[in-house]
Amino acid sequence: MDPQTQLDIAKLNDGDRKELTQYLANEAQKSNIQQTVHGLADICWKKCITGKISSGRLDQPEEACAQNCVERWMDTNFAVLKHLENLRGQ
Amino acid sequence: MALFGSDNSAASSSPSTSQEVKDSLIRQVQQEAAMSNARSLIGKVNEHCFEACVPTPGSSLSTKESTCLSQCMEKYIGFWNATSRAYISRVSKESKKAGGADLSGLSL
Repeated sequence: MDPQTQLDIAKLNDGDRKELTQYLANEAQKSNIQQTVHGLADICWKKCITGKISSGRLDQPEEACAQNCVERWMDTNFAVLKHLENLRGQ
Repeated sequence: MALFGSDNSAASSSPSTSQEVKDSLIRQVQQEAAMSNARSLIGKVNEHCFEACVPTPGSSLSTKESTCLSQCMEKYIGFWNATSRAYISRVSKESKKAGGADLSGLSL
């Protein structure tokens, strides 16, 4: 943390405090989603980009593969949860 | 650590009002979030593009390898954005199904 920005939290009034809490909650959610996307891009890149890289542009099949990969990953997620639920009920 | 032009000069006089403290905090959080996101992205780009473009490391990077790295980097960023769009649209569809919050306006 930068030493020159010593912040006195006590100076915050109630309204700003509330606003900050909301802001931080949003940022935390955004950061969570970003981390998931980093993980997904990692997994899906391995599955979708297998050949030689000959252009910097993402072509149509690659984009479609990314989308399918994310959708099926989510399906897998739900399928695992559902099966777990079934196992628990046995 | 000024990778994306983070500028702390505005915050150098110590904030005295509630508004200033709040703005300064928000600025710091924004910078750190951007930094952390960039760090994750750069790490992954490095990993995947090294794998794709430098199969047998020689004594220096060849022109071909350098070109490949630039293209790979652009492609990875495009791929990341496509992944992000797909994920956000699916999550917001699921959460709407469950009667939850609408995330479709969210952009990263």
